[in-house]
Amino acid sequence: MAPSDRFPAEVQVAVDDVHVRYRTASDDATLRRGLPRWQRAANRLVGREPTVLVRALAGVSLVARAGEAVGVVGLNGSGKSTLLRVIAGLETPHRGRVRARSAPVLLGVNAALLPELSGSQNVRLGCLAMGMTPDEAEAAYPQVVEVAGIGPSIHRPMKTYSSGMAARLKFAIAAASDPQILLIDEALATGDAAFRERSEERMNHLRRQAGCVFLVSHAAKTIEETCTRAIWLHRGHVVTDGPAYDVAQAYRWWAWNLAKGQTETAASLLEDAFRQGTDTRVVLAPEDAGSAVPRHARLRSGGSV
Amino acid sequence: MVDGSQLAPVTQRPPLREYLGRLWERRHFIRADARAKVVAGSRGTLLGTAWLVLRPVLDAAVYLVIFGLVLRADRGIENFLGYLVIGTFMFQFTSRCLSTGAQSLISGKALMKSFAFPRAALPVATVVRETISYGPVLVAMVAILLVLPDSPVLSWRWALVPLAIALQVVMGLGLALLAARPTARVPDLQHIIGFFSRFWLYGSAVFFSYERFVSHPQVLELVQLNPMFRVLEITRDCLLYGITPGAEAWVILGAWAGALLTAGLVVFWRGEERYGAL
Repeated sequence: MAPSDRFPAEVQVAVDDVHVRYRTASDDATLRRGLPRWQRAANRLVGREPTVLVRALAGVSLVARAGEAVGVVGLNGSGKSTLLRVIAGLETPHRGRVRARSAPVLLGVNAALLPELSGSQNVRLGCLAMGMTPDEAEAAYPQVVEVAGIGPSIHRPMKTYSSGMAARLKFAIAAASDPQILLIDEALATGDAAFRERSEERMNHLRRQAGCVFLVSHAAKTIEETCTRAIWLHRGHVVTDGPAYDVAQAYRWWAWNLAKGQTETAASLLEDAFRQGTDTRVVLAPEDAGSAVPRHARLRSGGSV
Repeated sequence: MVDGSQLAPVTQRPPLREYLGRLWERRHFIRADARAKVVAGSRGTLLGTAWLVLRPVLDAAVYLVIFGLVLRADRGIENFLGYLVIGTFMFQFTSRCLSTGAQSLISGKALMKSFAFPRAALPVATVVRETISYGPVLVAMVAILLVLPDSPVLSWRWALVPLAIALQVVMGLGLALLAARPTARVPDLQHIIGFFSRFWLYGSAVFFSYERFVSHPQVLELVQLNPMFRVLEITRDCLLYGITPGAEAWVILGAWAGALLTAGLVVFWRGEERYGAL
């Protein structure tokens, strides 16, 4: 059977049942009480806090195809950024696999790069870290500086930057490469109006170039406006995966109820959404060829980005 | 069915040969990172990069007072000042490779969270950085040797010293790679490594002649197998005393350098997929 028979566009990213968990310190008193006496004593002695297991992602599967712009919505801490880091290959999942047609590039705004170095040194270093040659990095430099638009501050050490300036520079560096698979983490939310316009312009350009785009945001409106498809994450689980408009609307209605304190309504909405949501299962065929088959055929909202 | 044969895993540890190839592709990044950090390391101090040389000078002064003037460890050592200068100036390179290499993954966390590159680039970059800083230290060392009251013996043997230093750098690279992986997992090792370095310092005849203090044959043998002792011995023989170092010294040093680099590469490469979760 020819590939094009059943699926119109080629698969760019296949995420197969990915689990991520962290072990981290917690100063929750109830946790401490649950520990055996000797361990509590030992912890007090070395000044350590008991650890908890945090499940950031609990079995996420999805398939993204060429030309798709996939939005990821969810509350803070629902695993959105972790999902992007896993797709970018910056973090290895505890279980599950991620396959991609080409190396995905993550546009994040959180990382601080090297705070001791000046902005311009960070630009050079970042470009080289993405695999550019020195000449390419040199050629990309003026554009990065222009997109960042932080003026003469580019020559100061990055630790003296405000968080907004650092975020802008970080975005500009990552945007310097022209990736096929682009992962954007809240990039639009930072910076003033002038920067937002410049960054949006740059992002649209990248999206036209890219095979597919993932956009993480907790603002459902952004997703609705810029994506063709959306995924709602809740506590590491996929709630729904479908046309951007439907998912964003459902998410906003739920979040509104939650914010207004209508916890019961919110809970039942979430349950409904879970029930309506379709499970995606990725089947990786033998001989190491990743074949992705959604269990339920689903109509995706048409139209290009 | 979708043809998935063109999809590659995003986190996969390539075979060692390919891994080294990818590492080589990032050589510009490694060099830029190392260079930038040499400068950044001394930013914020008044004397800046001068500290690269001042530190071992002050170290040598401390050891001179304690071991030369107080403990009289200099008896039986010809040109004790030169002996001491070579010891302190050269040993600090290896101990710095070990300690900064061990921390390289922890301090490079931000870079690892932003960009995908072979993680070995980080420990390699720290060793490159230490090597760049080592240059002026060595120049200063030779300059000091030349102005000391007991002048060194100038001979063709000076040409052998770069080879010993090259082997020392290879050894430092192996140590950095070897230490980086366990330290990333258990940061407590940073402290243990500090103690290990000091122990090694005393066991490498940096500021006294081991022959005077060690009489136990097995311990003596252990000191003889110590690669850092051999680096110092070769350098002192060539620069100070005009003696051609024996083949045994080269074999021991070369074997250590090769073994440490191989072990370091393999150990580090095998942990490649797990460094992201730091």
